[in-house]
Amino acid sequence: MLKLGGIFRKFCAFGRGILVLAFLLFVASGMRLLPMPAKERLTSAFLSTVFYPVQYLVASVDDFRNVLGENEKLKEENARLRLELDYARDGLSELVRLRALVRFDNHWDYPIVTSRIIGRNPGRLVTTLIVNRGLADGLKTDMPVFSMSGLVGRVAKVASHHAQVQVLVDPNLKFSVLNVRTRTVGFAESFDGKRLAATVPAHAGIREGDTLVTSGLGGIFPKGIGVGVVKEMVPHDMDVLSTMVIQPFQEVSQLEEVFIMQKEPDWIVRELLE
Amino acid sequence: MKKLQVIITIFAFLLCVILQTTVAKWISVFGATPDFLLIFIVYLAFKRGTVVAALWGFLIGFCCDIYGPVEWLGSATIAMTLLGFLVGLLEARFLTLRLSLRIVILALGFVFYDLIYLSLTTLSHSEMTHFFLTRSIPNGVYTVICGTLIFYFLFRSKHRKTHV
Repeated sequence: MLKLGGIFRKFCAFGRGILVLAFLLFVASGMRLLPMPAKERLTSAFLSTVFYPVQYLVASVDDFRNVLGENEKLKEENARLRLELDYARDGLSELVRLRALVRFDNHWDYPIVTSRIIGRNPGRLVTTLIVNRGLADGLKTDMPVFSMSGLVGRVAKVASHHAQVQVLVDPNLKFSVLNVRTRTVGFAESFDGKRLAATVPAHAGIREGDTLVTSGLGGIFPKGIGVGVVKEMVPHDMDVLSTMVIQPFQEVSQLEEVFIMQKEPDWIVRELLE
Repeated sequence: MKKLQVIITIFAFLLCVILQTTVAKWISVFGATPDFLLIFIVYLAFKRGTVVAALWGFLIGFCCDIYGPVEWLGSATIAMTLLGFLVGLLEARFLTLRLSLRIVILALGFVFYDLIYLSLTTLSHSEMTHFFLTRSIPNGVYTVICGTLIFYFLFRSKHRKTHV
């Protein structure tokens, strides 16, 4: 009797299950057979009401994950930028140091070519230097040459892989200099291949120890490259003039490396030279 | 007690929805993703029997339909309801608590679900075959792998009891 009761209960449970299943399948099939507009209405109604919190929850999880991913990316980018910043700071400090060394003004934005001196003229007087850069490196004649101490000269001749530099004490080179204190301009030249001198007005108030830089008037050298200091003031044959003997910042015989500024002569000088 | 079970089931369902909509795509392998909702239904059928599994199958199927193509509305509902009911029936009538059989049931259930679902859609025979080979089989394999891990974790305690 008990066994029969158990079977009956099981049958009832199974029957209840079948009924539930039939009902659910009936509803699902009804949905399946609905016309398209009704299906669309039903879908949109559920999406905008019942499913909205679920969508919100899912979107939040996705957002959280995206934020984590973005955070990771930003951390990586931050680390990379920090490295670049350090590198830039290092470069900037180096730039400032080099500019200070060569008295390099900010307005000089010409490319600089570093070159090694590979030869000097064999005579007792050093009037020319040979450097290991040439046309292949973008050098042209009349480009200014300088060192960390100051002006050295100009490019006189250029071959494919080397160039000849005419130094300041070459008697054939004349250039204008500017007294930094008095702003007096004079033409500097060497008469003996050893000393550099410039003739200036006697009343200009130039004193020994005044600093001289290039004036930029000649069209070859840009303004402001250090040339030297006034070593001595010598009276000129003409009373209104006097000669200042210049001690160059850079002793040519001790040079090993020079910088060549890739600045071509100003157009008026180019025309005159041509 | 029953209320607690319902609450736990609702939380488990929400967890599965989140897993299915977020985690599943993160862990996809060559486009194959596990079907956590199907694992949930099969598990529910094992644990709660035919009626509960059929009801939850209906609900989950309906959720899938809402986010699926509109013209196929009802297909996943029918397939999932049938799956829940049949797995619950098998559990109640023929099976013991062996894990390996549960895994086999999960694999068969996946195939059953996909066959019913695809047959109720408007896909052509060739499209159905292509879909089954390229999507169903990889997804099914991945689902069975995930299901094995989940079932092992969930049924572990019962296993021990059975063997002791």
